[in-house]
Amino acid sequence: MNRVIKSSAFSLALGYVMLGFVALVLFAAPLWYAWQVTIQDGRAEILKEDAQRLTEIYRRDGAQGLTAFIEKRVSLQIAGERILLFADSSLKPLAGNLPAWPLDVPEKSGIYTIVMNLEGHQTRAVLVSNTLPGEYHLLVGRDLARFAPLETRFWYGLSAATAILAIVGVLGGLLIRRAILSRINSIGQTASVIMRGDLSHRLPARYSGDELDTLSLTFNRMLDQIEQSVNGIRNVSNAIAHDLRTPLAELRSRLEELVVNRPAANETFAELEAAVTDVDRVINIFNALLRLAEIDAGLRRSGFVQVDTAKMVAQVVEFYLPAAELRGITLSLRQVESVPVSGDPLLLTQAVTNLLDNALKFVHDNGTITIDVYRWSEETVGITVADDGPGIPDAEKPKVVERFYRGDTSRGTPGVGLGLTLVAAIARLHEGTLEFVDNYPGLRAYLVIAIGSPFKSAISSMTNKTESRQQEKTPLLEAHKTPVLDG
Amino acid sequence: MKVLLVEDNERVSRFVVKGLHEAGHAVNHADNGRDGMFLASSESYDAIIMDRMLPGKIDGLSIIDALRKSGNHTPILILSALSDVDERIRGLKSGGDDYLTKPFAFGELLARLDALLRRSQGNNSTETHLEVGDLRMDLLSRKVERGQRPIALQPREFKLLEYLMRHADQVVTRTMLIENVWDYHFDPQTNVVDVHISKLRQKIDVDFERSLLRTVRSAGYMITANE
Repeated sequence: MNRVIKSSAFSLALGYVMLGFVALVLFAAPLWYAWQVTIQDGRAEILKEDAQRLTEIYRRDGAQGLTAFIEKRVSLQIAGERILLFADSSLKPLAGNLPAWPLDVPEKSGIYTIVMNLEGHQTRAVLVSNTLPGEYHLLVGRDLARFAPLETRFWYGLSAATAILAIVGVLGGLLIRRAILSRINSIGQTASVIMRGDLSHRLPARYSGDELDTLSLTFNRMLDQIEQSVNGIRNVSNAIAHDLRTPLAELRSRLEELVVNRPAANETFAELEAAVTDVDRVINIFNALLRLAEIDAGLRRSGFVQVDTAKMVAQVVEFYLPAAELRGITLSLRQVESVPVSGDPLLLTQAVTNLLDNALKFVHDNGTITIDVYRWSEETVGITVADDGPGIPDAEKPKVVERFYRGDTSRGTPGVGLGLTLVAAIARLHEGTLEFVDNYPGLRAYLVIAIGSPFKSAISSMTNKTESRQQEKTPLLEAHKTPVLDG
Repeated sequence: MKVLLVEDNERVSRFVVKGLHEAGHAVNHADNGRDGMFLASSESYDAIIMDRMLPGKIDGLSIIDALRKSGNHTPILILSALSDVDERIRGLKSGGDDYLTKPFAFGELLARLDALLRRSQGNNSTETHLEVGDLRMDLLSRKVERGQRPIALQPREFKLLEYLMRHADQVVTRTMLIENVWDYHFDPQTNVVDVHISKLRQKIDVDFERSLLRTVRSAGYMITANE
């Protein structure tokens, strides 16, 4: 029982029943009032008409005539008959069915409702008193007790309606509760299964569009997201298991060999130096994997700010320019359209850096690398990095973003095979894509990222302003900034 | 210089203490948060190296926070296994002056510590010019000359040289340069920084008898007028 009372469906139903009561009272009160007024008025009207008729008789036939008429009527003993009294100027009764003039009724003409003793019992009565010419008094009235059954029936009716309302309300509440509870229970059961570790289960939903189904669908989408994240972590674990073990195994055998063979000191130091390099490599893989997991988890999306893509790309190009020049590579920023996007500036910079890093690694000396930044569509910005290096065979293109994939051409180059995976993850975080196509010859990387809703409309007006303002400010800022480890 | 090391890992501590001794620093060591807090607040140090995750119910950031609130402005280098950008920002916001991620190369630690010590000694933010040997940099007019000869530098080259000159006679690592000159927080895989340095060297050193900008093997760079 306690559970029933605690159930939210039940308290909801209870609330509705209460509301029903209030509505019923509000509905019945004016009705009751109107009924009372109408009946009373009607009653008084009839009594007045009666009094009028008796007054006519008095005018026509005089006091004797009226006395005779009243006595005749009283003697007929009609059930529910009026109270009638005809009295002289000293209120002494001449005819009628009252023994004496009631004390509460004044001699003056008018309508009075009083409590009086009638044939031995107390009752409420409505009386019309009329003063006739010649100081005679006439009293016509009615015992209100005769109407009591009608009122009682009204109250009985109202009570019955209330009872029906209460019963139907509680029953309805219980039924609703059962219906909702069965669905909530099934949601709860599924949730328990999921909590035990089976992430493939989904809540039952009927696409009916009602609130519970909408809620279930939202939960299902959340579960999809969680499952994806968990799978991501699982993939990372597998990748770690596979690709960290290899360099660790190498390191281990190197050290073990030292312990077993005990070579000369200078040889030992050379091996130890190599071991430190091995460890650094492991650390690099580790850092890249952690960053990848962090990006895939989507946690950084909360820190999105406005990023000026053109400016950001220009800075990266400036950073790499000397390195390119050194090898005679023409590195140029060809088309630049200033488009602000909503994103993580550090990650976007890293994405462009990795693409450039990659291009520089593979392009031959005296080659060309061209970068474009432009509006790709209404909602996206494209950044392309095109080189005339060896390129990637078509079959391998989709594979280059896979974790630890290293193509044949990358043998002997630095890196652990996570750079482009990272770029793809950063693109995904920004609701974008990373694609590779042939550049005839070479490779063209398309990094497309979403502009992000807050900046879509305000782009054109904002870009010019911020650009010019920043250009004014930069030298000032640089002169005053203390460039000591404030990063 | 007197340095406090708050670090719970025994092997890392031994390694760092030994290295700092060899570099000529006096080192006190605390291996938990409580002792670290006690030493940091009761003794006077030139710099503190602070691990973030410590035994003893009080972590590194809380110690830093408490020290800063009590008006202690000793430069603090945070040492942590937490490498996220967000964690780094949190560390610096709590009052740390620099952030180094574990595992680290000792050279990197030493270079950053020296930079912190230098900064706390001479409050050089009001300087109007920097000098190393006959190389002179005017920070207001943004002009550089060596001997009597003016040297034209691009803005980024100027910033790079300024950073090196502010840390003259100290080793500056590649990571420090990337963080402070370019404001990037990741290591490019190619030797981009080396190329920037060699370009700068072309401008300031190549026609002169003595070169000021030196490469320190397996550590970084140093600008110095000494032999």
